[in-house]
Formats: sequence, C-alpha cells, structure tokens
Amino acid sequence: MPGFSVLRVIQVGFKSLHLHKLRSALTMLGMVIGVWAVITLVAIGEGASQDAQEAIKRLGAQNVLIRSIKPLDQKTQSQGFSFTSEFGLKNADATRISHTIPGVKRVLPILQQRKTAVHGRSEVDCQIIGTFPYYPEFTQARIVAGRFLTESDEREKTWACVLTVGMAERLFTGQNPLEETVVIREERQGSKVFRVVGLIEERSTADKMPQDEDPSGKTIEDNIYIPLSTMKGIFGTLDVDRSAGNYKAERVELSEIRVEFHDAEQVLSSLPLIRDSLNKGRDGVKDYEIRVPLNELNALKQQKERDTRMLLYIACISLLVGGIGIMNIMLATVTERTREIGVRRALGATQNDIIVQFLIETIMLCLLGGMVGVMGGWGFAEFRHHILEITTIVKEWSIIVAFGLSGMVGVFFGLYPAIRAANLDPIEALRHA
Amino acid sequence: MSARPIIEISGLTKIYDLGQVKVPALRGIDFKVLEGSYTAIMGPSGSGKSTLLNILGCLDRPTDGSYRIGGDDVSTMSDRQLSRIRGERIGFIFQSYNLIQQLDVVENIHVPLFYQGKDINSYREHCEKLAELVGLSDRMDHRPMQLSGGQQQRVAVARSLANEPLMLLADEPTGNLDSKTGEDILEMLDKLHGEGRTIVMVTHDDEVAERAERVIHLKDGLIDRDICVGKQVAATPAPTSEADVGEAKKVRFRVKLNRGEKD
Repeated sequence: MPGFSVLRVIQVGFKSLHLHKLRSALTMLGMVIGVWAVITLVAIGEGASQDAQEAIKRLGAQNVLIRSIKPLDQKTQSQGFSFTSEFGLKNADATRISHTIPGVKRVLPILQQRKTAVHGRSEVDCQIIGTFPYYPEFTQARIVAGRFLTESDEREKTWACVLTVGMAERLFTGQNPLEETVVIREERQGSKVFRVVGLIEERSTADKMPQDEDPSGKTIEDNIYIPLSTMKGIFGTLDVDRSAGNYKAERVELSEIRVEFHDAEQVLSSLPLIRDSLNKGRDGVKDYEIRVPLNELNALKQQKERDTRMLLYIACISLLVGGIGIMNIMLATVTERTREIGVRRALGATQNDIIVQFLIETIMLCLLGGMVGVMGGWGFAEFRHHILEITTIVKEWSIIVAFGLSGMVGVFFGLYPAIRAANLDPIEALRHA
Repeated sequence: MSARPIIEISGLTKIYDLGQVKVPALRGIDFKVLEGSYTAIMGPSGSGKSTLLNILGCLDRPTDGSYRIGGDDVSTMSDRQLSRIRGERIGFIFQSYNLIQQLDVVENIHVPLFYQGKDINSYREHCEKLAELVGLSDRMDHRPMQLSGGQQQRVAVARSLANEPLMLLADEPTGNLDSKTGEDILEMLDKLHGEGRTIVMVTHDDEVAERAERVIHLKDGLIDRDICVGKQVAATPAPTSEADVGEAKKVRFRVKLNRGEKD
C-alpha cells in the first residue's frame, strides 16, 4: 500500500473517531491513565532516588566514614553511675590510616561535643565541631559569608568560629553575625569567647554531620565549627552530659574520621586494611563503626532498579487494562460499522485494506491517548517539581517506553477486531442493518 | 456494429451447503450481457435473484459454471483478486445508498478510487465533476446525513461511475425512494445508458424493469423468461435446462436469440 494511502487512512480514521467523540475520548482514557501513570510514577521514583543519591554522593563515593561508638559493655557499666567512659577513635588512628593505607588522599578528623552557645540573651544548644580547614570540601558545604577556618587558625589555635546559617539565625536574630562574639559555655574550664569569621550552609539535612542523638531522641542541627587544635586545647576530650539528673561523662578523642581516597574504585578493596589498622591495639573492643557511602549508593541503585521494575509492571498492567478496554470498544465498533465494511468491500477494498483501516484507527486511539497521557504525566511532574518543589524528574526513556507501549497495545489489541472486520462476509455485511 | 460481451455466464450453479441439506439457489444459468445494454433481472423471492446479484457483483463465487466479466473468468479467483475486479469493473448502486457516514460527498465518490490506489488530491477534480454530473455541485462538502434519500442515491450513482467500470450493477435502486425521486434516479440511469454505459439492474418492480431493454425473469434458480425490447441485442445462450421450464414462456415483448449470436 503506497504511503499516501496510509495518510488517507489516517485522515479517514480521524473522521471516524470524530464521528463518535465521546466514545473515542472514553476509550482513550484507559491509555491516558496508563501512560500518565508510567511517566508520573517513574518521575516521582526518579526524583526521590536522585535526592537520596545526591545526599550519599555528597558524603562522597570516594570517602569512608569512621565514627566512634560506645562499646556495648561500657554502656551497661555507665548505667546510673558517675563514671567516665573512654572509648573511640584516637588521633593516632587518623595518622596511621593516612600514612599506611594506599590510595588515601587525605584524612579529616572531627571532634564534636554538645555545648550551649550564648550571645547576648540568646542561648542555643548546639554542636561544637572541631575540625580541619578542608572540612567544607568533604561535605561540600557552601560558604555563605566570610570564610571558613584556615590553616593558621588551626596552627595558632585561634578563637575563630564558623556558624551554620540556621545557628546564626537563632543566635543573632536579624543581626549580622560576622565579627561578633559567641560565648560557649563550659562548666569545668569556664566559658570561652569566639569570634565569628564566617557562615556556611550544609547542602541538605541529609548530609549534615552525622549527629549524636540527645537523650530525648532529637538531633541538634545547629553547628559551630572551630579549629580542632583550639577545641582540644580548651575543652579537652571529655564530654559531660548532665541531662535528666544523670551525670555521664565520655572521653572521646575523635568523634569521627573521614577518609578520602583518590578514586572511588579503591574504596571497597581498602576496607579490610582500614579495619586491620583500627583493630591494632584495640584488643577486640569494637568502639567504631565504618560507613561506606559507596556501598549505600550501590544498594540504593539496586533498590532503584527493583522499584523501577515494579513501576513498569504496574504500568504494563494498567496499559493492558486500557488495551482490553480498547479491544472491547473496537469489537463493538466493528459490529456497528459492519455495513460500512460491506460497502467498502463491495467498492474494491481487500481484506488487507480493512485490516489496515481498523488497525490504524486502533493505533491512532492508543497513540492519541498516549499523547494526552504524556502531556498530562509530564505536566504533572513539572508541576510537582516546580510548584510543589518535590524533586520529580521526567525520564526520556519513560516517555519513549510509555508511548511505544501504547502503540504496541494498539497493534496487539487492534489486530483481533481488525481481522474480525476483514473476515466478515461482504454479502452478510451489506445486508447488516 | 459489434458490441463485445461484458458478462458471459454459462452453466452457473450455486448450491448453499447447510450441512444437512444442500439448497440449490441457481441451477445452471446461461446468458450474456453486451456492452452498452440495459438489462433488468426480475424474479420472486427465492428465485435466486439475490444469489445471482451477488455473483454478478463478484461478492460470491459460483459452485459450478463460469462467469466472465470483461473476458476474465472470475469464478475461481481469490478474494483479493475479486476485490480488485469489483473495484475496477463494477459500479455498485444499492437500494439503501450505502454511503459512508463520516465522509462528505466528494470523499464518498472517491472511495472506489482509493482502493485502486488513487490519491484523493489528484482525483478531487474528477470526483467533483461526477458530483456535478448528478446535480450535487452545491453539496460537495455535505455529509450523507445532511442529504435527502434521492440526493444520497445520486451520490451513489456518481460513486458507481468513479472508476469508469465496465458495468453498473444496481440493486433495487429506487426501492427506498418515493416515486418522484425514484423517477429522477431512473432517468439518470436512462441517460447513462444513452451515453453507452452497460447497466444491470435487479428489481421486483415491473414499471422499473420496463425501462430496461431486456428483462430476465428468474424462477426457482433458472431463467424463466428472457425478454428483449428495443434495438439493443441481448445475446442469450439457450438455457440448457430449457426443457425443464419449457412451458413457462409467456411473453409480452420477446426477441429471443440463440447461443453464439452477438450482433
């Protein structure tokens, strides 16, 4: 059949669909919903997983996080006693890892303690984080104003501090915090006064410093960053908690060590080495945990693949349902248009001509439905992304798959009614009321 | 002048196999239709009239015997070949017009051309001329629903001419029309006949049949009478089964010709 004939069949198909507008629209609805569902579900899934992936990526695929944890036996010991427990990572661990593990680019030690910061009348519970000047490169925190800590701050144990934006808002309501002073209250050593040199913003809540939970189960999200050397000098390594009438003191040299490798490929193979290195001189006490963002990333990717597959199954089922609806209507249409089929046969249409005509009409229904579904699904995803501001990412493949599937549904479910139409006896068909 | 035969039928038999019983609808029919002739086929219901019409229209195949249209034997052709023959050589005019609802007048006239692979854009002028010919030049973009019965039948006549067929095959063309509009259609057929078109018409109406030059009466699957009027010659082979129906030859106007005569 030459090309112009197919075009003509499409033209006539439009006329036929137009003749029964409501029926065509209702028939298409199944396809619309199916395709809409595919595109929206994939976009929502993609958005959620992208958010999570970004968060994990910011922890760094080439990074390994080692955190101090309280060993189980010591936890029980400290119950209800005035007892100072000592555990966790040591400076020596950081040095050893940075010197002995191959492929390590650098190591970031972090010490964090919970304190109260005071400015004027504001008092805010916060997390004091003693760390090195290259901390923002590890967490990809953004410097909003001023600067971060420098090498000379670290070397000279200065009284410089950097606040998170949220912290600054709570402590300096409305004021410019730069060059202002912050008092960090400390019972044993006396309060210390720091000078604010900068403001930073962590990328999102997910990639803030892993926080210790306070007794009520809340994490403190307001951070003050000071040079690690200053922190060790003034607060020492003893963290005292007097909450809930409970005296609990912990001596932790480093809360966390972040290890950055040159290449993400080196991460997994180096894990046993890191573990060996840490276990040396620990006598079997497990007072640290290792977190590997790369592993989490891989797990997430697998999870995402499973989710995507499931979404596709759901989508296929809805398209299948839509297809059955379309087949049903097309069978009714063939019956209703039996006379037309007879006339066309009498006027020279072959069985193939009839098949092509009805097949193209079905495919057109499906593709039109698919198109509306694509527009609807895409539009809804953009609405969700831009207006509701929930990350929603329309994947090109989902449009192609959904649209392609709707076309295939058209062929598959259109074929049987079309063949039925073509197999009608022309004489019977002409006699049909 | 020698007119070539458009239709040559010999020994045409059609038996419907209903499983238990075999019902013969046509029991061996022979006749010819010459180019430019106007033939009416009549007969009571059950006479095999409809069966003959279906076979003449290449919508059905005979059980036995041969049917040549334009010299080609179609009795053993495939469905696909028959479709082509229908589109090329036969112009159908139905009792109930049978226009396609979703198409306008010009598009309806184009339908037979479409199935011959002829693009509407190249043939639009041709179709419009046909619409003019049947007096519908001011209704070219109307849908069938917007036309009266007589107008619809005129569209059908125009459509039957679209492919320049060898013959027009009209099945009770005035059956659904009142006498006035029916008369219009019959006049149109007369005019087409006058221009040299071959027309075969099936009807049960004597008055309608009288417009033809020749009337073939069927009865019980056989030709009962074959009556010719006017100058046009109908070549009719003597029915092989003439003896069976011998007495049934009551004739008003009769010119009976023998097998093989073509002048």
